[in-house]
Amino acid sequence: MNFKHKYLFLLPGLLVLLAILIFPIGFTVRLSLSSWDSFYPALDFIGIENYVRLFTDDARFWEAFGRLSLLSVTTVFLQYVIGFGLALIVWKEIAFQRFFRVLFLIPMMTTPVIMTVIWRTFFHESLGPVNDILSHFNLAPLWLSSETLSKFTVMIVEVWQWTPFMFLLLLAGLLSLPKEPFLAASIDGAGPIRTFVYVTFPLMAPISIGAIIIRLIEASKIMDTVYVLTSGGPGTATETSSFYIFIKGLREFQFGYSAALSLTYLIIMIISFTIIAKILVKLMVRGN
Amino acid sequence: MSLIASNLSFKPGNEWHLDNVCFEMSKGQIYTILGRTLAGKTTLLKTLAGLISPDQGTLTLDDRDFGSIPVWKREVAMVYQQFINYPHLSVYENVAFPLKQRRMQSDQIKARVMKALQQVGLDGFENRKIQALSGGQQQRVALARSLVKEASVILLDEPLVNLDYKLREQLREEFRNIFSSEASKDSILIYSSTDPVEAMQLGGQILVMDEGRILQQGTSKEVYENPNCTKVAQITNDPAMNLFEGRVEAGRIILSSEIELELPQHCKRLATGSYIFGMRAAGITLNQTGFPFSVELSEISGSETFLHIRHEMIGVVGLLDSVQNFNTGEVVRVQFDTMQLYVFDQNEQLVSSPYCGLE
Repeated sequence: MNFKHKYLFLLPGLLVLLAILIFPIGFTVRLSLSSWDSFYPALDFIGIENYVRLFTDDARFWEAFGRLSLLSVTTVFLQYVIGFGLALIVWKEIAFQRFFRVLFLIPMMTTPVIMTVIWRTFFHESLGPVNDILSHFNLAPLWLSSETLSKFTVMIVEVWQWTPFMFLLLLAGLLSLPKEPFLAASIDGAGPIRTFVYVTFPLMAPISIGAIIIRLIEASKIMDTVYVLTSGGPGTATETSSFYIFIKGLREFQFGYSAALSLTYLIIMIISFTIIAKILVKLMVRGN
Repeated sequence: MSLIASNLSFKPGNEWHLDNVCFEMSKGQIYTILGRTLAGKTTLLKTLAGLISPDQGTLTLDDRDFGSIPVWKREVAMVYQQFINYPHLSVYENVAFPLKQRRMQSDQIKARVMKALQQVGLDGFENRKIQALSGGQQQRVALARSLVKEASVILLDEPLVNLDYKLREQLREEFRNIFSSEASKDSILIYSSTDPVEAMQLGGQILVMDEGRILQQGTSKEVYENPNCTKVAQITNDPAMNLFEGRVEAGRIILSSEIELELPQHCKRLATGSYIFGMRAAGITLNQTGFPFSVELSEISGSETFLHIRHEMIGVVGLLDSVQNFNTGEVVRVQFDTMQLYVFDQNEQLVSSPYCGLE
């Protein structure tokens, strides 16, 4: 057999890669350079017109992007802190340890959309149980219709839903840590808090960075919670980038423009996560 | 300064890990806890460190209750079998760690860390990461970390066991120099080992442990010359002291129908009766006029040969100071040097030794 024929063995994998990755991206790039919408469904060529519109005449996208950054960074931070705390609790030998490990994972096992519907009912301003209880204290917060509070409500649901994922990753990390440095730390005079600061946290840094990045990637795609809970409202108070792209593409059928939005969003995300990862490595690993 | 343990006992399951352990230790001294695997050495060290709470008993240091002080507040340092360090820190940060916990000034920390690193021969390695060091160097870092604390009690739990032979020999020598230096004069050094040669080389006092109990405490010379029971005699010798049963009758030792020995001077006053006799491997040599034994195994170790031989119920190990080859089953003639004979009673307690006989 000709030596060059070895490349034929790469063909199946290459074809799959082309079909599922390269072709969609390539098509999206081409689509973003067209004016394809519901009135003119054709792959014409309009150059970078969509991109010019995005950068000069679409403040709503950038506001949604800012909102997304706030939501994802805040929720992931809270998920990390709470998840780490819970993982530390069940990492130690405590009563009903297995029970608690399963209990903390329950939110992750539920269907996000259904749970968001339940949360929406829960926070319903006139019929929900939360305001029912708060009414005894003469309080009736507008969980879903206040511009500020609705963001907070989205955060609560996101944190509740995804903290168990963080908990799971961090607990696995804690369980894989060597025991010896902890033994040494106790002999070397470090109490529980100092052991956490100087031993547990630094040793967990690589795992923490991985967990934070995974969750940030997931959180930056937040769509279902917003869609079910507030539909981006009130007004555009909880509208995120992905939800805005969804509106442009699948409600207003501006396929060409939403492709340009998607690609811009993708590039920003890649650059952002590269920078975030570098910052986290610097802060958490080298900082130790 | 003295560390006193009274009736320390620890029984986590069905077996005693510590059984009524009592001892008194003084500062500036090296104490070697010698015992086989599972003798309770590590449990004892962990109890002294505060990592294990004994079921009963007390520990006092200078008449202060030492046992109730939490582990992170005790004035102890510990080096383990495994090379235990902080993998995410540099050599300098590893050694400085205990001092930082005490919130010492950074210039004081630096001075003490550099001194400790110099003591263990690691000056110049301050900025290296732990993973970049060899096993011996990692253990030196652990040793430096224990020295830098200037703790009242320094515990070394078989620190050389995971090192290769050459490195073990080298570090053992260095350990002895470090421990006998000025830096250690205010500390009680407790070293655990399974190796009697190591224990003897370190000098100081030896505490022989078995099944959670301290069988004998004394200087290395005392323990070597007069092991108080058969277990101590076996634990403190490598290979273990040969033990064989026999009778003393009419001024002779009768080991079997074919083997009778003259009573040596230090055993002249032994009463008639059954005894357990002990003899180190070096006391059993080949001689054409000796008793017939068949070879079970011959082991060459360096320039010596350990010969495992048997005659009826008597199985012993002899030490030949040359390299010799033997076939299994080969009959050799063996002589017992009765001047090196130990005698134990039926309760396995020492009756007579070459150094403390019954004349």
